[in-house]
Amino acid sequence: MSTAALHVDHHADHHHKESFISKYVFSMDHKMISKQFLITGIVMGMVGMIMSLLFRLQLAWPDEQFGILETLLGKWAVDGKLDPNFYMGLVTIHGTIMVFYVLTAGLSGTFSNLLIPLQLGARDMASPMMNMLSYWFFFASSVVLLISVGVETGPASGGWTVYPPLSALEKAMPGSGLGMTLWLTAIALFIVSSLLGGINYISTVLNMRTKGMSMNRMPLTIWAFFFTAILGLLSFPVLLGAALFLIFDRSFGTSFYLSDIYLEGVGALENIGGSPVLYQHLFWFLGHPEVYIILMPALGITSEVISTNARKPIFGYTAMIISLMGISFLSFIVWGHHMFITGMNPFLGSVFMILTLIIAVPSAVKAFNYLTTLWKGNLRFNPAMLFSIGLVSFFISGGLTGIYLGNAALDIQLHDSYFVVAHFHLVMGSAAIFGMFAGIYHWFPKMYGRMMNKTLGYFHFWLTFITAYLVFFPMHFMGLAGVPRRYYQFTLVKEFDVWMDVNKLITVSAIVAGFAQLLFLWNFFYSIFKGKKSEQNPWQANTLEWSTPVERIHGNWPGEIPTVYRGPYEYSRPDREEDFFPQYIPDESAPEVLQPEETQKAPSEKEEETVETSVFFAAIKRVFGLS
Amino acid sequence: MKFNTLRVLNNSLIKKTLVLLFTVLTPLFALAASDVIEPPKEFSISNFDWVSIFTVVLILLMILVIARAFDIGSLTEKLTGKTIVSWNNVNAYVGIIVLILGMIGVWYELNYHGKYLKLGNSASEHGSTYDSMFYWTFGFTFFVFVVTEVLLFYFMFKYRYNENRKALYYFHNNKLEVIWTIVPTIVLTFLVLRGFNTWSKITTDIPKDSQEIEVFAYQFGWKARYAGEDKELGNTNFNFISGTNPLGVAEDGAIKELIVELEGEVAKLKVKQATAADSIKVWKAKYDRMVSTGLNRTYPEDFKAVKDQYNDAISGAYERQLEKDIKRKKTALSRIAEYRKDKDFFNGKASDDKITTELVLVKNKPYVFKFRARDVIHSAYMPDFRVQMNCVPGMPTQFAFTPTMTTEQAREIKGNKEFDYYLYCNKICGGAHYNMKIKVTVVESEAEYLTWLATQAPFVAPALPAAPATPSTTDSATTTTTPTVALK
Ligand code: HEM
Ligand SMILES: [Cu+2]
Ligand SMILES: [Cu+2]
Repeated sequence: MSTAALHVDHHADHHHKESFISKYVFSMDHKMISKQFLITGIVMGMVGMIMSLLFRLQLAWPDEQFGILETLLGKWAVDGKLDPNFYMGLVTIHGTIMVFYVLTAGLSGTFSNLLIPLQLGARDMASPMMNMLSYWFFFASSVVLLISVGVETGPASGGWTVYPPLSALEKAMPGSGLGMTLWLTAIALFIVSSLLGGINYISTVLNMRTKGMSMNRMPLTIWAFFFTAILGLLSFPVLLGAALFLIFDRSFGTSFYLSDIYLEGVGALENIGGSPVLYQHLFWFLGHPEVYIILMPALGITSEVISTNARKPIFGYTAMIISLMGISFLSFIVWGHHMFITGMNPFLGSVFMILTLIIAVPSAVKAFNYLTTLWKGNLRFNPAMLFSIGLVSFFISGGLTGIYLGNAALDIQLHDSYFVVAHFHLVMGSAAIFGMFAGIYHWFPKMYGRMMNKTLGYFHFWLTFITAYLVFFPMHFMGLAGVPRRYYQFTLVKEFDVWMDVNKLITVSAIVAGFAQLLFLWNFFYSIFKGKKSEQNPWQANTLEWSTPVERIHGNWPGEIPTVYRGPYEYSRPDREEDFFPQYIPDESAPEVLQPEETQKAPSEKEEETVETSVFFAAIKRVFGLS
Repeated sequence: MKFNTLRVLNNSLIKKTLVLLFTVLTPLFALAASDVIEPPKEFSISNFDWVSIFTVVLILLMILVIARAFDIGSLTEKLTGKTIVSWNNVNAYVGIIVLILGMIGVWYELNYHGKYLKLGNSASEHGSTYDSMFYWTFGFTFFVFVVTEVLLFYFMFKYRYNENRKALYYFHNNKLEVIWTIVPTIVLTFLVLRGFNTWSKITTDIPKDSQEIEVFAYQFGWKARYAGEDKELGNTNFNFISGTNPLGVAEDGAIKELIVELEGEVAKLKVKQATAADSIKVWKAKYDRMVSTGLNRTYPEDFKAVKDQYNDAISGAYERQLEKDIKRKKTALSRIAEYRKDKDFFNGKASDDKITTELVLVKNKPYVFKFRARDVIHSAYMPDFRVQMNCVPGMPTQFAFTPTMTTEQAREIKGNKEFDYYLYCNKICGGAHYNMKIKVTVVESEAEYLTWLATQAPFVAPALPAAPATPSTTDSATTTTTPTVALK
C-alpha cells in the first residue's frame, strides 16, 4: 500500500512537470501512444483507400479521362488517364499501407498499447521508453513511405510482395529505382518499430499483471495481442533479412536473388547462382504469419465486444485460446501455399497443402464459438457490436475460400487471379478493418472520455458492410473465370469484356464505401471534442479498464491497482441481479463456484509490479554494471 | 524509488536527444523531398470535375444534417423518457433484410455470372479432374457458408435485446466443441486426399511420349520454340541472348556474331574510357554555359538532361558505369568462350529449332511446356486449360498437360466465332504486364499442325548462313498471325 501511495504522489507531481512536447509528442504514456498509433493509422488508411479508389477508376472506365486525376497526379495521369507504371505503384503502396501501416501498426499498435496495461492492471508498459520509440520509428517509416510516392520515377511498383528480380533491377521498371529504395527503408524502420512494440507487449503480459490476474483470467483481447506479438517477434526479423539481401543485390552487386538475367538495353548480367524463389520463401515466412498478425487482434477485440454486448460469457474461452495457439503455431509452417506454382518440388507442395488445410480447423472452431456466443444471448446492437458481427460474417465468407486456395491442385487455376483478391480482402482486409472499427467504437470512451454518435455509427456500419460485400464478392467470379490480378486494364482481352459491368459496379460501390468512411471520420473527430461525456463503464463491461476514471490519468488508477477476482466473461450470472459482474468487484457472498475452471486458482501471491519496475531497464542496468 | 533516477534520465536526456534528432531529421527529410518530389503541376481549375466536387460538398452537408438530426432525436428521447425509435430492433430487422437480399444476390450471381465461369468446359485432360474437385469443394463450402451466415443473422434477430430476459449463462460444452472440431477435420481430410492425388498426378505423371515445347517469357511478350526435323530442342544459355538470337540458343553461327558484337562494344567503351576526361570537360562547359546564359530556365527539359550528365560526370558515376559495362561484357565473353569449348553443348540441335510467336497444339496429344524467363519472373497462365506455372530466371520450370478441345470446338461451345485461347502473363512483371499474352491454337489433327510448322522458319535457314530471327522487342500478341484458321 505504501508503495502505491508513493507512486500516486509521484505521478501527481510528474504530471505538472510535463511539457507539451513530452505529453503529446514524445509521450511515454501508453494511452497517448495508443492514440498516436490510431490517428496515424487512420490517416494512412485514408491514403490507402483513396489510392484504391484512384486505381478502381481506371479499372472501371479505362477509356474515360478524369481531369481530377491529372490535377492530383500530374505527369502520372496525363490527359486524365492513369499511367500503367503508376497504376502498379498505387496498387503496391495501397497494399503496403493497408497491410503494414493500417492493420499491423494501426490496429495492433493502437489496441495492444491501450488495452494491455489497462486490462491487466498495470500502470504502463514494461518499457514506456521503448514504447515511445516504437511509435516514432513507425512515424518515420510512414513519412518515408509517403515521400516515396512523390519521387520522380514513381513509388515501388512490384506489388506489395516486391518480388525480385523485378524489384531488384532498376532497369526492369521505373518504380524499382529510388521508389524501391525508399520502400525498403520504410519497411526496415517499420520492422524496428514492430519489434520494439512486440517485445514490450510480451514482457508486459508476462510480468505486469495485477494481483489475481492469472493468465487464464486474461481477456481474450490480451491473449490475441500476446500471440500476435510473439508471431511478429519471430517473423519480422526474417523479413528484415530478406530485405537486407535485397538491398545487397540492388546496391552492392551480390546475387542472392539473381541469376541468368538478360535485360533489354543492358545485356547479360553478371549475376549467377542466386534464386528469386529464395526471396519468396523468406518473404512468405513473414507473409503468412503477417496475415494472422493482422487478424488475431481483430478476433480478440471481437471476442470481447461480442461477449459484452451479448451479455453472455464467451463460449469456449479455453477453446478460443487453444485455437489461437494452434493458429499461431501452424502459421509458421504453411507459407508455401503462396508458392505452389513457383516450380518448387511438387512433394513440398503437398506437405504445405496438408498443413494449410489443418489450419482451417482452429479457424472453424473460432467461427462456431462466436455463433454459439450469440445463441441465446441478449444482444445490444451498438456500433461496436455490429462491426463485430460484420467481422464474423467476413471471417466466414473469406475463410471458406481459403480452403480452395490452400489446395495446391485448385490453386493452379486460382493463383494470382481475382479470386485471391476477393479472398484476402474479405478475410484479412474487411474482417480486420471491421475489428478495428469495433475496437474504436467500443474503446473510444476510454480513449477520449466521450461517446461517439451511435446513429452515425449504424449508418457507417450498414453502408460499409453492404458495399464491402458488393466490392469483393463479385471478384470471386472474375477470378474463377481466369481474370488475372494486377492488370492495369482488361479491355485488351476480348474475353474479359463481360466483366466490365462488374468492374463498374465494384468501383461505384467502392466510392460509396469511401463516402461512408467520411461519416466515420466526422463522427470520430467531432466526438473527440463535442461528443457526449462518457460514464465510467458505458457498456457495463467486466474488464479492468472500465475501473479507471473517465479522465485518463498517468498511471491509470488514482489509488491502488484493483485486484482481480474472477474471469472476464461473467455476464448474466443467474445469481446476480445485474447482468454483469466486473472482474474487480469482490465477491460479497458466494465464492467462485459458478465458474468451475476458476475454482482452484487462488489469487496469485506475486508482488504487484508497477510501472517503474521496468524489466528492461533493470536488465540493461545489470548488463552495464550500473548497480 | 531507485528507478526514479532512470526515469529522469529517460525524460530529460534521451528525450532531448530525440527532439534534437528529429529537429535535425525533419529538415533533412524536407530537403530530400524537395529534390525528389517533382514540383506540382500548375493548378488549373478546368482540371476539376465540378460535378464530383459538388457531390462531395452535398454529401458532407448531408452528414452534418444527419448528425444534428439524431442528436436532437436522442435529446427528445431523454427529455420525454420515451423511446421513439428502438434502434436495437431496427438493426435486427435491417440485419434480416440484408441477409435475405444478400442471399438473393448470391443466387443471382451464381446464375448470372456463373455461366461465364470456365468451370465445366475445361480444354485439357486434367482439367476435368480439376473441375470435379472444384465442385466438391464448392458444395461443401457453399453449404457451410449459407448455414453459418443464416445462423449469424438469425441469431442477431432472434436474440436482440429484451430487458425482461437474461442471456444464458453458458461457458462451454465439450461434446459440442469436439463435434465441430472433428467434423471439419473429416471433411478437410477428404478434400486434402483428393487434392493430394490430383496434384501429384498433374505434377508428376508425365507421359513418356510428350512433346516438349519451350515457352520463353520476357518483358513483355512470349516466344515458343519447337524442335525441328531432329525432334529435339537445342541447348540454351542466357549469355547467348542477342538481338538476332532472342532465346539464346547454342548455335555456333549466332554465337560467333555475338562475340564480334560484344568485342566491338568493349572496344568502343574503352575508347570512351580513354577520352572520359575530355568528355567531362565538355559537359561541364555545356552546363556552365546554360546556367550562365539563363538557358536552363528557358529549356528546363534540355537542361535536366545536361544536368544529369554533369552530375554523373563530376560524381564519377560516368566512369564507374563505363568500367562496370566493360567488366560485364568481358564476363559474358569469357563465359561464352567457356561454353564453346564444350562440344556436347554445341551439338547442332538448335539450328533447326523453330521460334514462333504463337502456340499451336494438337488435340489429345500430351505436351510438356518447358518455361524460361529472360529478365524477371513471369507466369504462364492458360485458364482454359487449368494450367499455370511461373517462369523464373535461372530456374527452369515445366507443366505437362494434354489439350482436349480444339479452338473450333471451343468457339462452338461458347457461341463466339472470335474466341481464341490465350496464354497470359500472371505474375506482375512491369508496366505492360497487362498486355503480355500469346495466342494458343488447338487443332484437330497432326497434319494441320505440321502444315503450320512448315510455315515457320528454322533458326538457321538451310541455305543461308544466319537468318535473322524476329527482334525480341516486339510484342508477340501484336505480331501474331493466324495460320491455323487460314488453313481451313
Ligand atoms: C476501399 C476499400 C478497398 C478497395 C476498393 C480495394 C481494392 C483493391 C483492388 C481492386 C486490388 C487489386 C488490384 C490489382 O490486383 O490490380 C487491391 C489490392 C490489394 N489490397 Fe485492396 N482494396 C481495399 C481495401 C483494402 C484493405 C482494407 C486491405 C487490407 C488488407 C487491402 C489490401 C490489399 C492488398 C494487400 C492488395 C494487393 C496489392 C498487390 O497486388 O500488391 N485493400 N485492392
Ligand atoms: Cu498464407
Ligand atoms: Cu510478364
